[in-house]
Amino acid sequence: MQSVSGDVHPEVSRLSFVLCYEVRMLDTLVFGSVVFPLLAALAVYFVRGDAARNIIVPVSVAITAAAALGLAGLGSFSYSPQAILGISLNGLITVLDFALLGFIFLIALRMGNLLIMGLTVLQVLGMVYLDFFLMDHGTQVTGFYADSLSLTMVLIISIVGGLICFYGLGYMKEHEEHLHLAKSRQPRFFFFMLLFLGAMNGLVLANNLSWMYFFWEVTTLCSFMLIGHDGTDEAKTNATRALWMNMAGGVAFVAALMFLQKSMGTLSVQDILAKSAAPGMKTAALLLPMAFLCFAGFTKAAQVPFQSWLCGAMVAPTPVSALLHSSTMVKAGVYLVIRMAPAYQGTMLSAAVAIFGAFTFIATSALAVGQSNGKKVLAYSTIANLGLIIACAGINTSAAIAAAVMLIIFHAISKGLLFLCVGAIEQKIGSRDIEAMRGLFKVMPRTAVITVIGIVTMMLPPFGMLLAKWMALESAATATAAMPPLVIMLALGSALTVLFWARWAGVMLGSTVPGENPPSEHQPFTVRLPLLLLAGGAVGLSLLSPFVYSMLVAPATALYAKATAYTVSMGVFENNAGVFAVYPLFLLLGVGFVYALRAAKKVGPEAASLPYMGGSQKVVDGKIGFNGPMNGFVETAAGNYYMESLFGESKLSKSINVIAIVLLAVMLGGVL
Amino acid sequence: MLTFIAALIGLALTPVVGGLLAGVDRRVTARLQSRFGPPILQPFYDVLKLLGKAPMVVNSWQVMSAYIYVMSSALAVLLFFMQGDLLLLFFVMTIGAVFQVVGALSVPSPYAQVGAQRELLQMLAYEPLIIVVFVGISMATGSFKIADVYAMEKPLLLSMPFLFIALGYALTIKLRKSPFDISACHHAHQELVRGVLTEYSGPHLALLEIGHWFDVVLILGLCSLFWHTSIVGMVALLVVTYAAEILIDNICARMTWPWMLKNVLGVGLVLSVFNLLWLYVS
Repeated sequence: MQSVSGDVHPEVSRLSFVLCYEVRMLDTLVFGSVVFPLLAALAVYFVRGDAARNIIVPVSVAITAAAALGLAGLGSFSYSPQAILGISLNGLITVLDFALLGFIFLIALRMGNLLIMGLTVLQVLGMVYLDFFLMDHGTQVTGFYADSLSLTMVLIISIVGGLICFYGLGYMKEHEEHLHLAKSRQPRFFFFMLLFLGAMNGLVLANNLSWMYFFWEVTTLCSFMLIGHDGTDEAKTNATRALWMNMAGGVAFVAALMFLQKSMGTLSVQDILAKSAAPGMKTAALLLPMAFLCFAGFTKAAQVPFQSWLCGAMVAPTPVSALLHSSTMVKAGVYLVIRMAPAYQGTMLSAAVAIFGAFTFIATSALAVGQSNGKKVLAYSTIANLGLIIACAGINTSAAIAAAVMLIIFHAISKGLLFLCVGAIEQKIGSRDIEAMRGLFKVMPRTAVITVIGIVTMMLPPFGMLLAKWMALESAATATAAMPPLVIMLALGSALTVLFWARWAGVMLGSTVPGENPPSEHQPFTVRLPLLLLAGGAVGLSLLSPFVYSMLVAPATALYAKATAYTVSMGVFENNAGVFAVYPLFLLLGVGFVYALRAAKKVGPEAASLPYMGGSQKVVDGKIGFNGPMNGFVETAAGNYYMESLFGESKLSKSINVIAIVLLAVMLGGVL
Repeated sequence: MLTFIAALIGLALTPVVGGLLAGVDRRVTARLQSRFGPPILQPFYDVLKLLGKAPMVVNSWQVMSAYIYVMSSALAVLLFFMQGDLLLLFFVMTIGAVFQVVGALSVPSPYAQVGAQRELLQMLAYEPLIIVVFVGISMATGSFKIADVYAMEKPLLLSMPFLFIALGYALTIKLRKSPFDISACHHAHQELVRGVLTEYSGPHLALLEIGHWFDVVLILGLCSLFWHTSIVGMVALLVVTYAAEILIDNICARMTWPWMLKNVLGVGLVLSVFNLLWLYVS
């Protein structure tokens, strides 16, 4: 790993050449990741017309992805651009901060929403106090700092996010045909989608917390705009809810900034983390702002009791949900919690964060069991996985952080894929309900199989998600604080996830013909390609998980703890606590799977039998049923158990929210 | 390499042991019910006969699911004999359980569908218990590796009696014994025909039966970890455990899934927490 710095004055000429080259390279790459998406967004907004958009979007996401790969190739760096086009960056971002808050205030004013106005005013006041009274403008704060964690995030945001934008091209065309709009609103849509990518890249690369706050608020605004994109009453309500919840997180963020500036004298993440490592530093002066930052992260990651904004976000067109759930927005929340993890390592705050995350994991997994709405299942499963990531951050050992980063990576791919699948399914069959997807294989063979692949990669070995879950469970067992409740919650939550995934995969494959070979489906290229790439990515990257771990995850965990999380040799993960043999498993399961598939192919129509219905099974007009009362034909029907009386939202949400608020109060109160 | 060969031999013997166990089980059960019962080898005759039949299926996914089930169960047993990671072998076993459900759900038959839903609920009941038992083992031995259990000086049962009972719950569910024979049952008192297994016949049913033998041996293997210090102790523990299973099966009525969830998770988790705290303190 090489490290370069933007403000070095090298004496040696060769070194200076290398550094200059790398700084310029860095300039370009950071620009390509953060600012370029904004320019592309402006281009899509102003150059209207399908043809232009169909060129601008793919080209710009390709450039952003290339920049991300370039950055990853360059390795970790710290970099302090001073000015852009002659304007001081610190000043520019301060001005933009206020402009952004002012804009949000205007939106709230137009909606007449006092809550959001109040939250905005609080942030403005906080920022005024911070910028004009607390901040010592003489000290330099490194603007950008990237390590493996940030670079992993940049890769996910730019590549998975880029694919989702690309998918949006085909999806939105059909979406708008459906709505019969007089004037296309796609320029606005893609403006915010691309801006979102840039802001996310900025957020994860920022080392200066006040810059990070700016990008944080930009993602809040983008998500508000995108959730409300369709302009229906429901969309507006849900967008407003998302806005106030995230603004509440913003207030916590500003509070953290003020406390940190006052107690630490700096807003540089690296300096804060370095200072926190000194003995005796983990007092309330540091932990209180950390608790506030965690709180901000929880709101953004839609943890309980803020889960409703992410569930409501699915009124938006599918690419928005896919983007919010997989590669952006919610991942910003968990990123912040993980980023700050060393600062609260070994404290009660860390234990509280772990318990809180584990509670979200089990609570939202239970909520997912009660849902037949496919998108809602995905939404709750996202929140559950984020809860698991936060629990890992709270457990705060190197193995747990490794688990958290692995979860971020593999969840982004599989969840992005599943959202895109449900979007494609919904456009074809007109429903997102799991019951409506019974026998989907007949109608959409390829998409059905890809969806099943998505589900399997979410829940079973040898895929990356499960590897990460295995790491999470094993590190929970070695947690030093609050271990028993943590383990029980993770064990129960993990069993609940198996339940809702398995039944969804099963019903989609429904069929009554051995060797059924339905005609292949037609799909726009921009929809089909991301599905194939993400499905391939989910499987392929799992196969490469030992490399993913050594190249991206292990260096990220090295920052958190001296101990190596896992040693990897010949594709086998091992540490003191356990051993996970990725390659041998892949090999054996792969061979077995191919064998199973071949056996399945061999059974032809000659072996066909009807489902058993007590001996009176019957087929009428191709429909399967039985000979019922009065010799009449009764078609069979079946439904999954959703058990609303146990797992329904109306049954659980209230008590979950109460418990979550208590946990949050304990977390915030506990540091004092 | 030697462990691998030994593990392969163990793997090959597993279905034999599993089948014999099933035979003994049927015989003892029959005696408890004042019947004579079938020959001990009857399960093998049954499976061999099933294997010889022509396949009859509703769709191809069933076939795929049956193969994946038996494969993953066998792989889990292999991992056990290789003294691998407990949690990992549990996850591998889950593959089979999931595909058994997927196969049943792929058929629009009311019996299979209801059976599949109930099978999922049974999994919901036993999975957390097994995970917690493994966590308990890792607390006692310092790792999830089976090899480290054998390095212990004292039997685990002494420090984890309550977790052993929790594992007993899981074993009863996995064995499809009353009161937990909710998703499929060996007896004829089923309103559900054979529930999750209804749509399987001939060679594919035989595969599922063999897979089931693997699962049963695996869970008994896990029980055996609780008295690893002497062969006699281990065998005694297993005999007592299995005899208790047969007894419970014969004196219990089949209960409903809400009852199962409440009791197994309620009682099982309380016992587990108690035992975990005990381990935690010591």
